[in-house]
Amino acid sequence: MDYRIVHRIGIARISKLRSERSFYVGTLLLAIIPLFIRDPYLLNVLIISLSFGVLAASWNLICGYTGIFTFGHQAFFGVGGYVSALMAMKAGISPWFGLFIGGTVAAFLSFLIGLPCLRLRAAPYVAIMTLAFSEIARITCMNLVGLTRGEMGLWGIPNFPDIHIPLIGVVSFAGGVRVPYYYLILIIFTITMVIIHLILRSHIGLAFRSIRDSQDAAESLGVNITYYKLLAFVVSAFFAGVVGSFYAHYILILTPSSVFPVGLMIEILAITLIGGIGTFLGPVIGALLLTIGLEYLRFLGDYRFITYGILLVMVVLFMPQGLGQKLFREKEITE
Amino acid sequence: MITSMVVFEQIMNGLVLGCMYASVASGLTLIWGTMKMLNFAHGEFYMLGGYVLYFALTVFGVPPLIALVLAVGIVLFLGMFTEKLVIHPLLDRPGWELSPLMVTIGISIFLQNLALRLWGERFKNVPYFLDGTFDLFGIRMAYQRLIIFVVTASVMLGFWAVLKKTKFGIGLRATAQDRDAATLMGVNAKKIYTITFGISCAMAALAAALLAPIFSVNPWMGHAALIKGFITVVLGGLGSFEGAILGGFILGTTESISVILLSSEWKDVVAFAIFILVLIVRPSGLFGTKEW
Repeated sequence: MDYRIVHRIGIARISKLRSERSFYVGTLLLAIIPLFIRDPYLLNVLIISLSFGVLAASWNLICGYTGIFTFGHQAFFGVGGYVSALMAMKAGISPWFGLFIGGTVAAFLSFLIGLPCLRLRAAPYVAIMTLAFSEIARITCMNLVGLTRGEMGLWGIPNFPDIHIPLIGVVSFAGGVRVPYYYLILIIFTITMVIIHLILRSHIGLAFRSIRDSQDAAESLGVNITYYKLLAFVVSAFFAGVVGSFYAHYILILTPSSVFPVGLMIEILAITLIGGIGTFLGPVIGALLLTIGLEYLRFLGDYRFITYGILLVMVVLFMPQGLGQKLFREKEITE
Repeated sequence: MITSMVVFEQIMNGLVLGCMYASVASGLTLIWGTMKMLNFAHGEFYMLGGYVLYFALTVFGVPPLIALVLAVGIVLFLGMFTEKLVIHPLLDRPGWELSPLMVTIGISIFLQNLALRLWGERFKNVPYFLDGTFDLFGIRMAYQRLIIFVVTASVMLGFWAVLKKTKFGIGLRATAQDRDAATLMGVNAKKIYTITFGISCAMAALAAALLAPIFSVNPWMGHAALIKGFITVVLGGLGSFEGAILGGFILGTTESISVILLSSEWKDVVAFAIFILVLIVRPSGLFGTKEW
C-alpha cells in the first residue's frame, strides 16, 4: 500500500491533537507576559528558555521523531552564531539576513554530517560520529584565533538594526533592551513550532516516524530513507543555526566554550527527555521547566546540577514518557 | 627538524597514551559486548579512580601499590552498586536502545558536579609512584611511564586470560552471544551484567590512577577520556576486546606522531578525522561484528 494513503489516515488522527490547542493558548500567554513583567532579569530567563525550547524542539525532530540519535546538535547552534556574527562584523551583512545565513550554513554542514551517518543504524555509532563532528567544530573554532579570537572571545558583535513596523513604530534593539528581543525569540519560536507541526502532520512527518519505528518496514513500503534522513538532518540543523545566530546578536559575545560544549548537548537532551521525547510540546515544556526551574533552584547553590542529574535518572526510571505526557496526556502524538 | 630520535620519542609517548585509551576503551567495549549499552558515565568513574588515588596517596599516605588497588577496588564496588541501582531496573523494559544512555548521562552530570562540590575545582597534583628516569636507546624515560606500560599490559593480558579460560569468562561470553541461551545453560545473566559493569568501571579507574601523576586530577578529567574512549572503541569495533586494545595503541601513536607534523592544538582534530574516515570506510571497525 502506498504510504501516502496511510498518511491520510494518520493526518486525520494527528490533526485532532489536543497539544495543538495547548500550543496556541501557551503562545498567546507568552505573548502577553511582557505587559506584566518588565524585570529585565526575568525576561532574560524567558528569552534563554525559549531559545532552549527551539533548540530542543529541533533536536526532538531528528531524535524523537526520526529516531536518529545525534549527539552533536550544539555544533549547529555554535556555527549559526559564529557565522552570523562574523558576517556582520567582517562583511557588514545585516544580522537580519544573518539569521538565515547562519541557519543555512548550519543546515549545509548538517547535510555533510548526515551523509556518512546514512550507513549507520545502531544508535551508539551515530551518536559517536556526530559527537566527533561537533568536537572538530569546537576545536577548529578554538584554534582559528585569527578569525574567531579563540577562547579570548569574539566581542563587538552588532545588535539587530532598528526596524520600522507599521502601527508600532520604530523598534530598537540597542542599549540592552529586553522586550524586543523577547518578541523576536517568541516569533522565531512560534515559526519553528508551526513549521515542525506542519512537517509532522504531512507525509514527511509520517515518513520520519516510519523510519524511527522500523527502517526496514519503511524501506519496503517505498519510503526513500536517504532523502528523508537527510531532510531531518537539514531541517533540524537549520533551526538550531537560526537560534544560534539570534543568541550571538543577543548576548553580543561568543566563546567556543560557551556555544560549542558537549554540556550544551547534554542540556538539550535533558530538556527533551524530561519534557517528553517524541512529543510535540515535550521539549518546550522541558525547556521552560528546567531553565526557569534552575533559576528558582538557585538557593540550592552548587547542588543545582546535582539535583539536575538525579532528576534525569528519575525521569528515565519512573516516567520514560516525560513530564509533558503526565501533565497533558497527549497520547495521540506519540503514535 | 624531524630526526628519528624525535619520532621514536613520540612513539614511546604514543604507547603510554595508548595504554590509557586501551584500558578506558576495553571497559566500554566490554559492556557494549555483553549488555548492548553505552555508558556515558564511564568518564566519571575514570575521574573517581583518579580522586581515590589522590586521597590515598597524599592525604592518607598509603604506598602507591595499595593506593592503586584501593582505587580499582572502590570504583569496582561503586560501579556494581550503580548498575544494581539504576541500570538493573531498565533491563527487559522497552527502549533499551536509548534508556541506559540517558540514565548514564544523568549519572555523569550527578557525579561530575558532586566531585566539583565535594573536592573543589582546583587541579590536584599527584606525585610520581617512583622517581627517577632510565635510558632507553638514548632516550630518557621516567619510571612512571614504564609502570603505566607494564601494569596496563599485565592487567589486559590477565583479563584476556580470564575471558578465555575461566568459568566466569565463558559465562560472560555466552551471555554476550545469546542471553536467553546462556540463561538456559544455567548462567546467571543478571549477575554477570552487574560484575561486568563493575569491572568495566574498574578498568577506567585503573587508567586514571596510573595516569594521575602525569595529568592532574580534576572533576572534568572524565570528559576527554570518554570521548577518546568512544573513538577507540569504534576504531577497534564495538564489542571487541582485542580491537579496543589495538585501537588504543593506534590512536595513541597516531596522535603523538601528528604532533611532530602539526601543532599540538590540532592533535584532537587528527584523531577525530581518522575516526570519521574509519567509520565511512569500514563502520564495523577493525575487529567488529556486523551490527552498526
